[in-house]
Amino acid sequence: MGKVNISFTINGSSHQIDVEPQWTLLEMVREQLHLTGTKEGCGTGDCGACSMIVDGRLITSCCMLAPQADGSDVTTVEGLLANGDLHPVQQAFIETGGVQCGFCTPGMIMATKALLDRTPKPTLDDIREGLAGNLCRCTGYTKIYEAVMTASGQEI
Amino acid sequence: MAQETKTRDKAGDSEYTAVGKPTIRIEGVGKVTGQTKFADDLTFPHMLHAKVLGSPHAHARVKSVDTADARQHPGVEAVIAAADLPAYKMNPSNRRGVIFAVDEVLFQGQPIAAVLASDPHVAEEALALIKVEYEPLTAVTDPISAMEDGSPLVRSAISDVDRSEEKGHVTIDVEQEEAEGAPSNIASKINFSRGDVEAGFAEADCVVEQTWRSAMVHQSYIEPHATIADFDNSGELSVWTSTQAPFYVRDELCQTLGIHESKIRVTATEVGGGFGGKIFLTELITAALAIVVKRPVKYIMSRKEDMLAATPAPFAQVELKTGMKADGTLVALKARLIYDSGAFPGAPVMPGCLFVGGYYKCPNLHIEGFEVLTNKVSVGALRAPGAHNATHAIESHMDIMARELGLDPLEARMKNAVEEGDPLPSGQPYPRIGLKDCLRAISESDVWKRRREVEGQANRGVGVAIGGWIGGLQPASAIVGLNGDGTIDVTVGSADISGTNTSFQQIAAEVLNVPLSSVNVTTGDTKTAPYAGMSAGSKTTYTVGKAVKLAAEDAKRQMLDIAAQRFEASPDELSVADGKVHLDGDDDKVLTFARLGKMTTNFGARFAPVVGRGTMSTRKSAPGFSAQAAEVEIDPDTGAITVLGYAIVQDAGFAINPLSVEGQMQGGASQGLGIALSEEMKFDEEGRLLNANLLDYRLPTTRDLPPIETIIVEVPSEEGPYGARIIGEPSIVPGGATIANAVADAIGVRVTDIPITPERVLRALGKL
Repeated sequence: MGKVNISFTINGSSHQIDVEPQWTLLEMVREQLHLTGTKEGCGTGDCGACSMIVDGRLITSCCMLAPQADGSDVTTVEGLLANGDLHPVQQAFIETGGVQCGFCTPGMIMATKALLDRTPKPTLDDIREGLAGNLCRCTGYTKIYEAVMTASGQEI
Repeated sequence: MAQETKTRDKAGDSEYTAVGKPTIRIEGVGKVTGQTKFADDLTFPHMLHAKVLGSPHAHARVKSVDTADARQHPGVEAVIAAADLPAYKMNPSNRRGVIFAVDEVLFQGQPIAAVLASDPHVAEEALALIKVEYEPLTAVTDPISAMEDGSPLVRSAISDVDRSEEKGHVTIDVEQEEAEGAPSNIASKINFSRGDVEAGFAEADCVVEQTWRSAMVHQSYIEPHATIADFDNSGELSVWTSTQAPFYVRDELCQTLGIHESKIRVTATEVGGGFGGKIFLTELITAALAIVVKRPVKYIMSRKEDMLAATPAPFAQVELKTGMKADGTLVALKARLIYDSGAFPGAPVMPGCLFVGGYYKCPNLHIEGFEVLTNKVSVGALRAPGAHNATHAIESHMDIMARELGLDPLEARMKNAVEEGDPLPSGQPYPRIGLKDCLRAISESDVWKRRREVEGQANRGVGVAIGGWIGGLQPASAIVGLNGDGTIDVTVGSADISGTNTSFQQIAAEVLNVPLSSVNVTTGDTKTAPYAGMSAGSKTTYTVGKAVKLAAEDAKRQMLDIAAQRFEASPDELSVADGKVHLDGDDDKVLTFARLGKMTTNFGARFAPVVGRGTMSTRKSAPGFSAQAAEVEIDPDTGAITVLGYAIVQDAGFAINPLSVEGQMQGGASQGLGIALSEEMKFDEEGRLLNANLLDYRLPTTRDLPPIETIIVEVPSEEGPYGARIIGEPSIVPGGATIANAVADAIGVRVTDIPITPERVLRALGKL
C-alpha cells in the first residue's frame, strides 16, 4: 500500500507529509515527527497515556489512524510550553506531587487541559469524570485532583 | 475537597532546613513536558525492532520450530529461535535463565522465537510466518488440586526445579520432607511453629475458621517492559532498560551470557512504573538477540504480551483458624497458605507466612506454606510481595472475632499488636516499630470517625485493617562531588522509582547547608555509578540515602580541611552555611564553595578535588506499618461497591520528603483498592488468560477512587537517615482486608474472595 499525503497543524506548526496509511496518529507523531512526549501504554485506547487534543477534542492517538488527522489541528504535550514557560497545568502537576513515574503524565496533562478548556472551574466530580479515561498507577489520583484544582485556581 | 492531608506537626518548625520539607521532584519539569526519555523514546543508528512469538498453549511439547518462511519475508533481518543461540549457561528451572522455550512450553505467552526488522510492523507480520508444531499437554491450572498426589505435572523435570530454586526462598527442601522424592508440583514448603496451638484453641472463647482467596493480579505499570541492547566488537554489552535493578540486571546477564560484569553497561532508563515487576525480564532476550546481530535491538512488550508473559503476583488460598479470649487476647493461630507460583518457582509464600502470624502477639501458632507450580505465567514481586494475600485473611479474622466478642475492632488490634522485641513467626524479634502509633492515628481519621454515623444505615459500612512489611537490605554507596562552580553533584547507582533522587538532593543539601538548587542528583549506569542494590524492598532511601548522607559528610570534611589549611585554623572552628565555609567568630574569613571548587580543580590547583564517598551495609531492618479505613456503600441490586471515603496512616520513621511519602502512601493504597475491588487475571481451563488488556483487567480509575485522607506518623528507625524507615510497600498491604471488613459491616455477610466484585457480593447475599 502506498503512502498517503496529509496536511495538518501540530503544536502550531504546519506539516505536509507522506504517511503509512496503517500507522496510527501516535506512531506518526512519535516516529516520524520525533515528538516522543506522548506515550503508548496499551495500544488499545484503554489507558489514556497517548492522549492528544485534536480539533479541540481529547482523543487516544493510538486508536486514530494518521490519515484521519488530515486537515486537523493537533496539540501534544510538547505544545503546552509557551516561550519556554510551563503551562499552568504542568506547573500545578509538579507543585502538588501529581507526577510520579511520569509515564501517564503527558496524557493526564492533556486530559486536564481538555477538561479545563470546557470547564474552567471543575468540581471534584467533574474532575473524576473528566479524567476517567486516563489511568495512573502511581498516585492513587489524590494529588492529581489537587493539581487540577490548583491549575484552575481553586482551593484544595 | 474532602481530602485532608495531615503531616506531622513538626514539619514547620523542624530543626532541619532541607529534609522533612515537602519538596517538588528534581525531575518534575522533564516529566510534565514530555522531555524525560523513557526506553521507548530512545533510538540508535541501525537499530532493529524485535517482536517475539509467544506460545498459544499453556502446556505443550514443542515438536518443531520452522522459521524459513519468516526469514524470507521482505524486510526481515533475522529470525532467532532457541537453536540459533549459542549454548548459554541456561538454568531451565529458573525463569530468569530461560530465553526461548526448548522442547516444552510451560505457560501461555512463553517466548518461542523472535523476528528482527528495521520496521516493527514488518517484524510483527513475520511472526505469523513462523511455523511451530505443538503437541498440547494437560494444563495444570488449579494449585489446590495440583498439590494432590497423582496430579498431572506442570513440567517433566519437576524435581530438578525444586532443588535449584530452594536457596532463594528460605524454604524447607521438598525432598527432605518427602523422602521418596516422588515428582510433585509443590516447589517448596515452609513451616513456622510456636507454643501449643491446640492448647491455645482450648482456652479461646471465640474460634473462627475460614478459607480466603486472593486473585492473581498484575503490577500494571503504565509503561510496558522496554529494553534496548547493543553488543560491540570489543565484546562490550550495553543495555538501556526500564528496570528497578540495574546492577542486578548486569549480574544476571553476566551469569547467563558469560560476559564479565566489567564488560556490561546497564543504564536504568526512567521507569514508567515498576512496583516490583520491573526487575529482570526483557533484558536477557534483547541482549541475546543483539549479540547475534551485532546491531542495537529494541524490544518493547505490547500490553498483551506484558499481561501474558511478565511476572504478576500470585493467587493465594489461605486457610486460617484463630482463637481469641473474651478479653480480646489472641491465643492461637493455625494457617495453611498455598501460593500459586505459575510455571517456575518464585512465589512469595515466605512473607505470607511471616505476616499471617506476624502482626499480633500470639503464644501459640502453627503456619504451613506451600509454593505450588501451575501452567500459568510465573509470578514475581508486587509491592510487599505475598503480604496482601495473608493480610486479607488475618485482618478479616481480627474483625470477625472482635465482632463476635463485642469488642471494638481497633481495641482488639491494639491489645495484641506487636511491639519492639516481639518475635515474628520465624523467631526474629522486631526492631523499633510504629504499629500501635498507626492504630492510634487511624482512630482519629475522619473516615473512621464516621463509623458511628454510618452505623445502622442500610448498605453502608466502615472497615479498618492494618498491614506491614519488613523491607529488604542491600549494601549501598554514593559519591558527592564539589564542582568548580561550587555546585554539588550526587551520583548513585539506584534507579529512582519513587522520588528517591529528590530525597538525596534534600539530604546532601541538609548536610552541606546549601539550597536545593545547588545540588543535582544523577543515577549513573553500572560502569560509572557506585554500587547500589535494587530499588525494591522499600530500601532505597533507607540504604542509599544513608550512603548519600555519609558521602556528603565526607565531602564536607574535605572542604573544611582545605579551608582550615587556608585559614591556618582547626576544622573544628569552621562551619558551612549559605554555600560558604566560615571561620567561627571571624566574619572576614569566608571561603565560598565556588572558590573551593576552583581551588580543587583549576590548573595548578594546590588542593585535590573534593570527592565525598559514602558506603554502608546494615543487617538491621526498619519495618513499616500502615493502618487504613474505608467507608463503602453497596448497591443491593447490582452488588456494586462505591468507596465513599478512604484513609491511610503509615509510619514513615521520618518523612524526608512528605510530598513523596504521601504520594507513595496514596499510590500503594490505590493499588490495594484495585486488589480489593476489581483486579483479577482470569484463566480458562486450558490455562489461557481471558483478560490480557486494560479494559477487561480493571485498574482503579478516577471514578473509583475518592481523595485519600493521608496521615503520616513518625517513629524513627534506628539506622535510617534522619530516622527514615521503609516507605514504598506497606501501603498496598491492608487494602483487601479494609474493604472486606467495610463490606461485611455494610451487608452483614462475608465475601471471602478478593477482588470483591459485584458478582461476589450478590452471591454472598444469596441473590445469584
